Amino acid sequence: MLDVLTGGLMLIGALFMLVAAVGLLRMPDLFLRMSATTKAATLGTGSILIAVAVYFGETGVTSRALATIVFLLLTAPVAAHMLGRAGYFQGVKLADATLIDELAGRYNLVTHRLESRDIQPASNEPAGEAEPS
Amino acid sequence: MMSLEEFALFVILPILVVAAALAFVRLLRGPSLPDRVVALDVMNTLGIGIMGTYAIATDHAEFLDVAIALALISFLGTVAFAYYIERRV
Amino acid sequence: MRLFLMNTLLALAWIALTGTFTPVNFLFGFALGFSLLWFTQRLRPPTNYFSKVVQVLEFVLFFLAELVVANIRVLVVVLSPRLSISPAVVAIPLDVRSDTAITLLGNLITLTPGTLYLDVSHDRSVMYVHTMFVDDLDAFRSRIKQGFERRVMEILR
Repeated sequence: MLDVLTGGLMLIGALFMLVAAVGLLRMPDLFLRMSATTKAATLGTGSILIAVAVYFGETGVTSRALATIVFLLLTAPVAAHMLGRAGYFQGVKLADATLIDELAGRYNLVTHRLESRDIQPASNEPAGEAEPS
Repeated sequence: MMSLEEFALFVILPILVVAAALAFVRLLRGPSLPDRVVALDVMNTLGIGIMGTYAIATDHAEFLDVAIALALISFLGTVAFAYYIERRV
Repeated sequence: MRLFLMNTLLALAWIALTGTFTPVNFLFGFALGFSLLWFTQRLRPPTNYFSKVVQVLEFVLFFLAELVVANIRVLVVVLSPRLSISPAVVAIPLDVRSDTAITLLGNLITLTPGTLYLDVSHDRSVMYVHTMFVDDLDAFRSRIKQGFERRVMEILR
């Protein structure tokens, strides 16, 4: 019974990670790729680690697995936020299908500050149109 | 009927390795540096999953410690890369 | 906060008395301690601890449901032969101002598949969110505000 639970959790986790990798390959731009990978990978790792906890059934292993899951849940969004911000400064192109980009032109390219409304175009060029280097 | 250890070794690990190969294709293709960093991050996450699966396959709980260390290093690496990319422009 | 500490202490006492330190036993001890505190609440000054614990539990359940539903949605999109996506970067006006609330909200938004928290403006009045499927910008904004922001505010109040 526990074996079935462990196997099922491992299978679900592995399949979610496979979907994350396929999404990483198929999605047209950086932000969509991060969307597809951050949580699918987190959920996938989470269920594999829960499977490890169930399989060993020891307190030490369970607490370590849970600590790792909490750590992943806390850090994955932070990493995605920093990477997305860096990508935006570098001028990563958004997918053609993108309907609207309300962030365009709101980063101050000199001070790296983000404003809540559009900056005057005279002082700064919009961040979204910078050349990729 | 295969045992759980065989299931982990012959079904789960190949799936994860295929996923890692797909992520590696994205790492090679780019096109931009952040894309490659995302691919590396996914490969690190896959490494954590592989370590967990391997712990079950070999019945050694010690591999979980490797997974924890990998999770810590992976986060640091991604943040450092992001910082570097943002400072570079 | 003091009641939470008392509750945890009661759970630890339960563990010490039963002698089995497992996560399940800790949760059981916590539930026991919670019911004990609930039964004796007339002896202490009034507090919102009990409704808060219920709110947090509700929020966790809501978030797990959202996580599963949205993950399946992304799974279907990624595996379908034609990528039927309509991405957008949406500016969402914020009502919460504290660092904790914004961090929690950003983390939750990123962990819900299809949406990605990008950044928050310097004066903390607008949050920028990338989303994979958007049909109606205002509907999306109100879904984030009603679904996530309201609950985050309730918990942290």
